[in-house]
Amino acid sequence: MAAVRACAMAELVEGKPLAFEVGGTQVALVRQGAEVFAIRDECSHAAIALSEGDVESCEIECWLHGSTFSLRTGEALNLPATEPVPVYPVTVEGDDVLVDVAHPS
Amino acid sequence: MADANPHPTGTASRDNVAAAVETGDVVLSHLHPQGSFEPADHAVPTGLEEIWRFTPLKRLRGLHDDATLTGDAYTVQVDADPAVTAGSVGADDPARGSSGYVPADRISARAWAETDRLFSVVIPREAVVDKPTTISLKGLDAEKAGAGHVVITAEPFSRSTVVLDYSGSATWVDNVEIVLGDGAQLTFLSVQDWDDDAVHVTSQHASIGRDAALRHVAVTFGGDLVRFSASCDYTGPGGEIDMLGLYFADAGQHLEHRLFVDHDAPHTRSNVDYKGALQGQGAHTVWIGNILIRKVAEGIETYESNRNLVLTDGARADSVPNLEIETGEIHGAGHASTTGRFDDEQLFYLRSRGIAEDEARRLVVHGFFADIIRKIGIPEVQERLLASVEAELSTTVGLPVAT
Repeated sequence: MAAVRACAMAELVEGKPLAFEVGGTQVALVRQGAEVFAIRDECSHAAIALSEGDVESCEIECWLHGSTFSLRTGEALNLPATEPVPVYPVTVEGDDVLVDVAHPS
Repeated sequence: MADANPHPTGTASRDNVAAAVETGDVVLSHLHPQGSFEPADHAVPTGLEEIWRFTPLKRLRGLHDDATLTGDAYTVQVDADPAVTAGSVGADDPARGSSGYVPADRISARAWAETDRLFSVVIPREAVVDKPTTISLKGLDAEKAGAGHVVITAEPFSRSTVVLDYSGSATWVDNVEIVLGDGAQLTFLSVQDWDDDAVHVTSQHASIGRDAALRHVAVTFGGDLVRFSASCDYTGPGGEIDMLGLYFADAGQHLEHRLFVDHDAPHTRSNVDYKGALQGQGAHTVWIGNILIRKVAEGIETYESNRNLVLTDGARADSVPNLEIETGEIHGAGHASTTGRFDDEQLFYLRSRGIAEDEARRLVVHGFFADIIRKIGIPEVQERLLASVEAELSTTVGLPVAT
């Protein structure tokens, strides 16, 4: 499956994660300036929605236990999570934000 | 100021102690608080509650919220000895609620409220029935959620076996009550052999009479999500329960077992022993064991154990044994939990005896489960379970079927 439109660029708020369903996958989208990041909307530790957490300097924090994940790589940056969360390629075409959930990295 | 309390801190600590120990008639388990028949009394779970935090609520198809439970896409077959009464009766039958069960969570309360019939099995007083009574429920459509209620009554001094066999494709919630009269002996087996798309939430409660003995066996192989809660309490001294369990989770399956033994009578015995294997990406098992030893339960003996064998990467086993002890005047209490992968030394030993690696792995898994399977004591069931373990191993681990 190729990249699918998730939302309009105008819907996204700088530094504030929002939850979307893209092709059956729950995805949190975060806008940082001109860039948009897509990460699976579930912490790898206790199944909490990451879109409910805070974003700071390209890291998203799970609000329940405080693990942070890199928005670029999905890597878990501190405990208690140890496993990465999938991140998905995002392309912006005009005002459309396209997410390719079939190719996580 | 004459009536001011000169020892305010003394009063506070006395209150604290009184709150922590059983001083009144009612003591609540910390993990299993007082239930309610009224669904509205149970808040819709958010996933953060202690009793729900391991369960993926998104995969429950709204059962925990307000999904309709009126589906009838299932068939029921009964195979019973003529001495045993088995059939559907109205909800006004006195069997309903005879175990003293009160729904402990929202799904159980909803199943209770939505069922207007119940399936009743009665083993008459002093009857010794060799033939197992088998109730087979086959789901036909996972799109239509349904609810059920089963009551098994083993009258005093009877001896028998009852098998509840779930299969097919379903979204199913039910309550199962098991009532043992004084001196009754019952082996009860619940087999969750669902298709891959089934979601099943069951709450089973046993009430054990004086000197009665229940062997309660849970076998869970199939289903996308199975949440199996079983509890028991005693109506007199000398009662015994053995809770045995066997589960095998494949990629993507969530199999959860929650056990609770409420020792509310003296000189009772319980033994909980569950074993599970996991294989494949996203295979997830949860085992929560809890034993409450009330203050009246002097001279009891209990042990609970859970062992998990993780066969491949990507699987996750959660295992939490609990003990809540209100009296020290007991014979014994303990618990154990292990989660691990293949023991390299066992494999090395087998290979050093000339056994090929595939065969050695199979032997280790068989040995792991055989320990539980041989305690079930019903030959045809034991053979079927060994065959199921064999089939699981050949599909996902890729071990060829034994010749």
